[in-house]
Amino acid sequence: MTNLGGGLAVEAIGLSKHYGAAAAVQAIDLAIPQGEFFGLLGPNGAGKTSTIHMLSSLIAPSSGAARVAGFDLRSQRLEIRRRIGVVFQGLALDLSLSAAENLRFAGRLNGLHGTEIERRSGELLALFGLEKHRHAPAAALSGGMRRALDIARGVIHRPRILFLDEPTSGLDLLNRRAIWRHVADLRSATGMTVFLTTHYLEEAADCDAVAFLNAGRIVRRGKPGELVDALGCCLIEVETDQPAEVARRLEPRFGAALIEPDRVSFTCEREPADLALLGGELEGAARALRWRRPNLNDVFLRINQPDARRRAA
Amino acid sequence: MSAAQAVGAVAMRDVRKLFRQRGRLLASMIRPLLWLVVIGGGFAATEPAVRGAGYQSFLVPGVLGMTVLFGAALAALATGYDKESGVMRMLIIAPLEHAWIVAAKAAGAAAVALIQAVLLLIILAPFGYFGAEVSWPWLAVGLAATALACACLGMLVAAWTQSLDNYAGMMNFFIFPVFFLSGSLYPVERLPGALRLAAAANPYTHGVDLLRHATHTGPAFNRSTDLAVIIVFSVAAIAVAGARFSADGVFESRVRRLAQ
Repeated sequence: MTNLGGGLAVEAIGLSKHYGAAAAVQAIDLAIPQGEFFGLLGPNGAGKTSTIHMLSSLIAPSSGAARVAGFDLRSQRLEIRRRIGVVFQGLALDLSLSAAENLRFAGRLNGLHGTEIERRSGELLALFGLEKHRHAPAAALSGGMRRALDIARGVIHRPRILFLDEPTSGLDLLNRRAIWRHVADLRSATGMTVFLTTHYLEEAADCDAVAFLNAGRIVRRGKPGELVDALGCCLIEVETDQPAEVARRLEPRFGAALIEPDRVSFTCEREPADLALLGGELEGAARALRWRRPNLNDVFLRINQPDARRRAA
Repeated sequence: MSAAQAVGAVAMRDVRKLFRQRGRLLASMIRPLLWLVVIGGGFAATEPAVRGAGYQSFLVPGVLGMTVLFGAALAALATGYDKESGVMRMLIIAPLEHAWIVAAKAAGAAAVALIQAVLLLIILAPFGYFGAEVSWPWLAVGLAATALACACLGMLVAAWTQSLDNYAGMMNFFIFPVFFLSGSLYPVERLPGALRLAAAANPYTHGVDLLRHATHTGPAFNRSTDLAVIIVFSVAAIAVAGARFSADGVFESRVRRLAQ
């Protein structure tokens, strides 16, 4: 533990979680500075939720060490819980209580007193656009409003670190955007560290740093922009019924292809000059041909490239 | 932050919820009234007097106890109920030792049961079911002790239960045996040997016995025995249920289920 400490919001060394013989999280290292917006990304079952549950002190690590908000994960669990907020995948709300009553209940569980709870509830309901629904039962709120209330519930005690476990899953695009505006407002108002997990990778583009988790291991990490830039300036995508054939023809020119069942894509350093010419070369093997800027989804797909190849085979 | 504040918050929330569900509150009066009026009336016809009092008078502490037992046990069992999962998520992430969640839910269950019992008292009092000899302070103590015992009993079962899927099973294997193996419906000392022993070991029996002391309807044990059994049982039950609830393996599977 001597390496752990300093001004980091979350620091983990070799953190692992096993369920019987199955390894959910395998020796991950994290160093998240205070105030950072950090995204832990990966497919379903990658170990994201187990990582959040360990870091929020709900489940004990099988091995490894971590400090959260400066406190030891194994021996100072209550100290940690006083300083973190957690928004689970499932709502942590009492649907039979009103919005204000939910915040009051959460505030009291966190040791706040009446006037303090009222003041903070008012601020949060205003920040999240829920003032008009203050007295509405949570059951009567829309999915997006319930999630906003759930996040307000998670920060009523002004945590230093907010853990968000796939907070937008199941929400439509407008509500997802609203949730991200709320999180951005919250960060600018409080400067809190936000630890996000999501499998909607485009939502992690605003993160200061991300780590890709696959089968319990961190397989890549960095700033989203740098990870995307590292792929090259552009991506050429060929829609085709013959992915292996298209890859064979174009790999000598563009390098390794990402092969999926209905498409093949290549990264390149320059915008392609003439896609029509390329289409001609493929002699009808391509249904459609286009180029675009890469994004975090492309980083993810290339991390899992061997899988993509297997699927195409 | 004090655990007491969290326990109070949970109990307050459970009580507030009970008052919102007025239908549930009124429905909880149906069972004891049926027993008292219909079954009590029926048995009174076959057994004219138990210890000199009419059978219905004898049954009054029994149906008060029944109201507390069903109210507290069902509220405690709801800890494993899906509809409670949002609340449980709030509780597991609160800065509170997880064993305190058990104490908090027990306090909530006991409070809910007490309110139901008071409502039944209010319904029964005008009909002369409580004579001038009733000791109201001891009745209050008896109801509080019964509520405590039943809530702790419920939490003991809830700590081993992940959900309330098997409602009928809970009623048949837990609540009904506790009710029937007590002095609610018949004098404990008249039960055959093994049943009498089982009833004497049932903490709920001692709760009803305290109510019999208060209503002068033939208690079977002395008051200090009743109180001692209930207090020792409740402390032990909360300790065992708390340890079970917060044991890593059990707690982690609960967290995994709740997180979805």
